[in-house]
Amino acid sequence: MSSPIVSIRDVRRDYALGAERVHALQGVTLDVERGDYVAIVGPSGCGKSTLLNLIGVIDHPTSGTVEIGGKRVDAMSDREATSFRLRNIGFVFQRFYLMPILSALENVALPMAEAKVGRQERQERSAKLLAYVGLGNRERHRPSELSGGEQQRVAIARALANGPSLLLADEPTGELDARTGAEIISLFQRLNADGTTIVVVTHDEDLASAARRKVHMRDGKVVDA
Amino acid sequence: MRAALAQASLIRHRSRTLLAVLGVAVAAAMLLDMVMLATGMRESFRELLLSRGFELRLAPRGTLPFDTDATMPGVGAITAILRTNPDIREISPVMGGSIHVRVGNRDVSGSVLGIDPAVQGDYQLLSGRDPTTADAIVVNDYLLGRLGARAGDTISVATGYDPQTRTYSGQRRLVITGRVKFIYGATEQSSSAMRRETLESMSDVSKRDRASLFMVKVRKGADAERVRDWIDAQLPNVTAISIATAIAQVDARLSYFRQLSLILGAVSLFVGFLLVTTLVTVSVNERAGEIAVMRAIGVSKAHVIQQIVIEGVAISLAGAVLGLGLGLVTARYLNAILSAFPGLPMAIDFFLFQPRAAWSALGLLIASGIGAGVYPAWRAASLPIAESLRREAIA
Amino acid sequence: MLLFALASSLLLQVTSPAAQSRARELRTIAIDEAFAAQAHLKVGDTVTVSSRPGATRTADGSESGGDLLYSEAVIIGAIVRRGADPSEVARGDLLVRMHLDQLQRVSGYGDRVDRFAIATAPSTPVSEIIDRINHVAFGFKAYPSREIAVETSRTFQVVSRFHRAIGVITIVASSVFLLCIMVLKVEERRRDIAALRLMGISRSSVVRSIVIESALVAVLGCVLGVALGWAASLLVNWHYQALYRTPLEFSIVTPPIVAFAVALSLILGIGAGLLASLRLVRTPPLQLFGR
Repeated sequence: MSSPIVSIRDVRRDYALGAERVHALQGVTLDVERGDYVAIVGPSGCGKSTLLNLIGVIDHPTSGTVEIGGKRVDAMSDREATSFRLRNIGFVFQRFYLMPILSALENVALPMAEAKVGRQERQERSAKLLAYVGLGNRERHRPSELSGGEQQRVAIARALANGPSLLLADEPTGELDARTGAEIISLFQRLNADGTTIVVVTHDEDLASAARRKVHMRDGKVVDA
Repeated sequence: MRAALAQASLIRHRSRTLLAVLGVAVAAAMLLDMVMLATGMRESFRELLLSRGFELRLAPRGTLPFDTDATMPGVGAITAILRTNPDIREISPVMGGSIHVRVGNRDVSGSVLGIDPAVQGDYQLLSGRDPTTADAIVVNDYLLGRLGARAGDTISVATGYDPQTRTYSGQRRLVITGRVKFIYGATEQSSSAMRRETLESMSDVSKRDRASLFMVKVRKGADAERVRDWIDAQLPNVTAISIATAIAQVDARLSYFRQLSLILGAVSLFVGFLLVTTLVTVSVNERAGEIAVMRAIGVSKAHVIQQIVIEGVAISLAGAVLGLGLGLVTARYLNAILSAFPGLPMAIDFFLFQPRAAWSALGLLIASGIGAGVYPAWRAASLPIAESLRREAIA
Repeated sequence: MLLFALASSLLLQVTSPAAQSRARELRTIAIDEAFAAQAHLKVGDTVTVSSRPGATRTADGSESGGDLLYSEAVIIGAIVRRGADPSEVARGDLLVRMHLDQLQRVSGYGDRVDRFAIATAPSTPVSEIIDRINHVAFGFKAYPSREIAVETSRTFQVVSRFHRAIGVITIVASSVFLLCIMVLKVEERRRDIAALRLMGISRSSVVRSIVIESALVAVLGCVLGVALGWAASLLVNWHYQALYRTPLEFSIVTPPIVAFAVALSLILGIGAGLLASLRLVRTPPLQLFGR
């Protein structure tokens, strides 16, 4: 049995909200195996987004350890964390967060440019990724010219730009209607079938059901995995 | 990609970008003008002094050329002493005075220089010939106009006016042999020149064998300062002024303008800096979410800062180019005002465009553009990613 | 004029102690502060005044060369402050005041002067006196002092015009800067404005609140700016008065100037806020959010 790709041990995350102290995570332990498709579910404010942020190394735990691909990421410096994210993690957000001033192709190419991939290769790989998510004919369109579902697909293509070992998604269908959401869900399934490890945080029952494993959270704790 | 992002970002808010560019252009124009003012006087004066190749000027001790009515006695003796120095190539004695010409029932007055036409360095011949004969005189266009005369005309010239007795020491009929432009002439100045011997013959005895000024050319390769020191030692009645000294003197008199240029230049630079900072800060605050996302997908802090700084620099650059044109126009206007200084040679410019000065102004502006963008960019790129995303979600 | 002409060609020599025994018979002169500073002279020093350059001092302190007919030993009786004459300010001339008869003697000028300055009885009209003088004059002409002042201040007029031009340019430049920054600052609030509009707040209410805010900022800015300007004016005067050793005031802040600056700043600041907010309320709120 190979070691889990994500290994979280007794992680806590507190932060200040005005004068109060919020305990977003209160001792979470979790493993995600390579090739797995995990959905983290729970009511609003249970800490699932916070947990995702910690896995994605865009936040640091107050205590506890986080390992991704066997590497300790919880104590990385900003520069190391950024570089790690660039090459190992793909992030998909509820709000897509595409650069409105770039075309679909350019949006996908952005992380590649950062990773110093040559222009020719960038263009080829971006085009391939867009084709993979079903948007081969929309390369030159700006986000404002794309529907919500199309924008999210571009965002997913962008997340896959540097061939990450881990794909994280925070409410990816949150802004989409049922039909479009379904398209995204099937895309995730295809990705997982092709070998991508996926962790999603979601309210969407359909999306959660499509995952192989469900992790329930409540009040900053995992109640069943 | 970063440049493309910066460009796209600036175009996105066109009117805002344009406004900032305009503001920077105005600051750039003022900065350029102040840089031109700081160096203009000195440079154009130096060019003027060197225009005829005379490196040294001799005036009565303690005075500047034509600053006072004082004169140096013994032209012949002084010239003889000067000739003993092998480094001295040419000596041009000049005597200043004033003339009066009767035109109908009008009295036209003007200044006159008694010169040696072979070695003179005071005027440029426009047409006709030098006053090589005893009855020849050359005049500038302004005087010619006032006299209502033409080259070739004969005029009755008087000099050495005594206001007490209302008489002249000498009067002669002279032929206008040429039209000239006096290099050190001020605007609206009636000026003429004749042979020094002619002027002497018309002047009072007390004025004979005297000179107001000597202009001296040194041999090529000789050290003008050393010759100056030698002259100072040999001729105690005389002050020798090198170009460097003359410029220093003028600098001291016009130090006010240099200081003004420094203050206004600094203020312009500061305001330009403030503008770019404000624009970058506003732009960056709006894009807090975008910046957080860039960081989330793995773009390094340095690259985020670079992209934002490029925007600041682009605005500074565009503003600088626009400001160059604006600055040149304003400088001409201001120069025209200052050129009306009484007694100021027409050839002197207060605002002189020198490419070197322009480059330094441009460089300063770009540097301030970079500096202005760096801090807000750094702050924005350093915000905690998760918090920024959360705040964006709330917004 | 003769005085000024001579000032730069006068030579000063501090005499040896031996010659100071003649101090009792010597007359006094006054010099200006710049002269005193440059030549390290103080009241009571004995100097030689000469109108012909070339006089040199030999090893034993006695004078030779030059023309002793045209030199006299004098004592520094006073150090004076120059009047506030703008045309003199940067010339760097050194001023000496002597008794008229002594200057006439030393300069070899004889019984001549450059001009007479005449003060008239308050009741007599000046023009009448001028006419009377010119009628009987031979070899000179009378002018009212004001005319002379205007003539000799042409230099000052040029500088004055220059200042005015720079002033206009600075005002235009400042106006552009002010507009830029105010517009940018209001633009910064586009999301807030969008949120308010989405909530149902009317356009006019939004514009009004922004204009009030801009007005407050403008007023505060004015107060700060006037204080800063006044302090800068003090600094400028202090610096240049010390530099040129003159009581001339280089910068004066007067109530009309303050009123003008405040009025212009308020108009521009509030105007900019108004313009920017009008632009923003006309844009559909969702567009303001960037969606």
